[in-house]
Amino acid sequence: MSIHEREDRALRLQRVAELLAEAVTPQEVLDAILTEGVRAAEARAGAIGVLSDDGESVELLAQQGYPGPIMEDWGLFPVSAHLPMSQVMRSGEPLFISTLTERNELFPELAQQAQNGSSIAVLPLAVEGRVFGAMALSFAEKVEFGLERREMKVALARQASQALARSRLFAQEQGLRERMTFLAEASELLSSSLDYNLTLRQLAQLAVPSLADWCAIDMAGEEGEIVRLAVAHQDPEKVRWAYELQERYPPKPDQQHGVPQVLRSGKPEFFPKIPEAILEEAIGDDEGLRQIVDQLGLRSMICVPLTARGRTLGALTLIAAETHATYTEADFQLALELAHRAAVAVDNARLYGEAEKGANAAQALAYVADGVVLLDNDRVVLHWNPAAAAITGVEESHALGKPVDEVVPAWPSLTSHVPLARPGTSGTRPVTVPLVLDGTELWVAVSGVDFGEGRVYALRDVTAEHALEKTRSDFVATASHELRTPLAAVYGAVRTLRREDIELSDEDRTTFLEMIESEALRLSHIVGQILLAGQLDADAVELSVAECNLAEIASGVIESASVHLPEGITLDLSADGVSSIMCDENKLRQVLVNLLDNAVKYSPDGGHVQIRLERAGGGCLIEVSDEGLGIPSSERERIFEKFYRLDPEQTKGVGGSGLGLYICRELVERMEGHLSVDSQPGVGSRFTVALPARL
Amino acid sequence: MLCRVNLRASGMEVLEADGGQAGLEVARRERPDVILLDVMMPGLDGWCVARELAADKSTKDIPIIFVTARADAADRRKGEQLGGVGYLVKPFDPVGIGELVDDVLTRIERGEREQLRRGIATEHEG
Repeated sequence: MSIHEREDRALRLQRVAELLAEAVTPQEVLDAILTEGVRAAEARAGAIGVLSDDGESVELLAQQGYPGPIMEDWGLFPVSAHLPMSQVMRSGEPLFISTLTERNELFPELAQQAQNGSSIAVLPLAVEGRVFGAMALSFAEKVEFGLERREMKVALARQASQALARSRLFAQEQGLRERMTFLAEASELLSSSLDYNLTLRQLAQLAVPSLADWCAIDMAGEEGEIVRLAVAHQDPEKVRWAYELQERYPPKPDQQHGVPQVLRSGKPEFFPKIPEAILEEAIGDDEGLRQIVDQLGLRSMICVPLTARGRTLGALTLIAAETHATYTEADFQLALELAHRAAVAVDNARLYGEAEKGANAAQALAYVADGVVLLDNDRVVLHWNPAAAAITGVEESHALGKPVDEVVPAWPSLTSHVPLARPGTSGTRPVTVPLVLDGTELWVAVSGVDFGEGRVYALRDVTAEHALEKTRSDFVATASHELRTPLAAVYGAVRTLRREDIELSDEDRTTFLEMIESEALRLSHIVGQILLAGQLDADAVELSVAECNLAEIASGVIESASVHLPEGITLDLSADGVSSIMCDENKLRQVLVNLLDNAVKYSPDGGHVQIRLERAGGGCLIEVSDEGLGIPSSERERIFEKFYRLDPEQTKGVGGSGLGLYICRELVERMEGHLSVDSQPGVGSRFTVALPARL
Repeated sequence: MLCRVNLRASGMEVLEADGGQAGLEVARRERPDVILLDVMMPGLDGWCVARELAADKSTKDIPIIFVTARADAADRRKGEQLGGVGYLVKPFDPVGIGELVDDVLTRIERGEREQLRRGIATEHEG
């Protein structure tokens, strides 16, 4: 080699060194190597390959001057392949082959390849003794690789190695910075709202195009179904298309790859180059789908689970297709981190939602009138709402966390007969049971549900309803008794009158007929009272107010009562200067008849019964007093309750429907008056009707 | 009145009393073969009269047929416990009352008093 040639070579190497020094990005470095570098080496073509992240493959980064679809055919091949670049990467030693025959002998796989060109040189790209790639140079003519030539190629490779390693480091750093920026933006987005559906959609959008050409987020539905939450692509038309595609070709749950597999296993999938087999599995025999997939040009895929607290909530899929570079390990790590952050955000949002729901439920339970008690399977109290505290007399703070039998010793007897429903069933009817607390008897309606992890009981204090029910059943007994007695007289008198085997005296006949008449009236009166009570309940009683002569009404009532007055009773009317009043005459008469009837009934040993009328203010007072049994003070208000009877067992022989005084008070109050009682047991009672001046 | 007319038609002699106290006095004085006792009476009610009669050696064996509008089981048991031999619930047909009394007395003579007593609580209304 001449001095001139040596100088020229040195100059070319220097030129390459200058260009490589200026190149910053890996692409700029590759361009410099494959143009000036190849020229400096006097080669016809050149190619650069690097080891994949996993060290298993060689990825061809760029080429210059090779004919045919070399990138498609040799874009990615195993390090273990019997190929020049693979061998150099494995050995770390440069390879110089001068002839085609020699090349085809050494690497028979290449014998089928282009036969043009003759010599090749493959040089390791290494930094600090570590091989990370190789540079291949092909020469148009046969080259004898003497020492100088070899040294020149090795020097070129060294320069290329350093420049490429530096630029890759730079790219890595830049990539890292970009990823950190992306993660920061994503984190901010994920923490911006508790509506994780919204934030995940925005996240998918954020990932495009910096992280992927396509980004999809799928969630695991409650029934194990796959729910597509988001699809993002730069082109909205393609997004719409993707949703249609998902609808037409939903993923098969048993698919061995992709979202179904990731959701099932909770393990990520990473394919720098999507294997044909995976696409084939997804496509199946559907030619339409095959065409679509071909058009999409899916190249590289990452599918990572959204996992929080051991549960796979969904999957994040990133796909590189038309623009994005093939995914690297760094992209995969970024996707894992992103998915982790998204999963935590989803989990937090769900937990918050559940906590809020729990808080709402607790707030609702705080206001319901029914006591609600939640027990775990060890019968320990988990919830005790204010109504439960009110019914049992045990505060929530004293009940929570303790066995319920300790909190309320009567609990077993309270709940032992309560059938437990299962969640989702129609439930069971509450069982009403007595509960004695501090000597007071309550009636509590209890129902329960066994939900597997514990039991929830609803308690309702039905003491008042129970008392009303008892009163009502007493009424039925009383009313039937009250009806039976006059009915017996009417029926008995008729049956006796119709007897043909005996001859009745005229006196007896008359007595029987009078009996029929009076007992029929009594029946009518009882039925009338029951009906009137019903009308009062339904607020269907109409008043007909007019000016009435009160003294005349009272006098008429006394006169009627005198007809069948029991022995030992005397009646008297005192009307001092009271004459007219505005009222409903019939209703007031009914009140006086009831009060007088009661006065007589409750004077079994006789006595004086008086009606006294008195002016009071603009209105008047009507007093009905007797010298009868009297009313204990504890009963004085209750006697006005519907169906309430002073002597329900009728041991004192006093009958009645339990409606008379209820009707009296209701009618008086509808006339805007007031009915009260004053009484002393054994001495007698005085009922006072106070009516206003005008209605 | 209804019972009196119909019992007399069956050839029985009838004594009447108005109220519990008066009835007790008549029973002690006359010692009738059978007493038809109304439960609901002013003053001393039928249950009290039955108790008094049972407590009195001279009247404790007089058979009592309760006559009442109270038809529930608790009242029937009360009648049984107080030693009644019959329980007539209103309304009843007074035409057959003579026959009923005859039947009760016949069965008592046959020594079936205890069965009659126990029958009160199990008999149906009527």
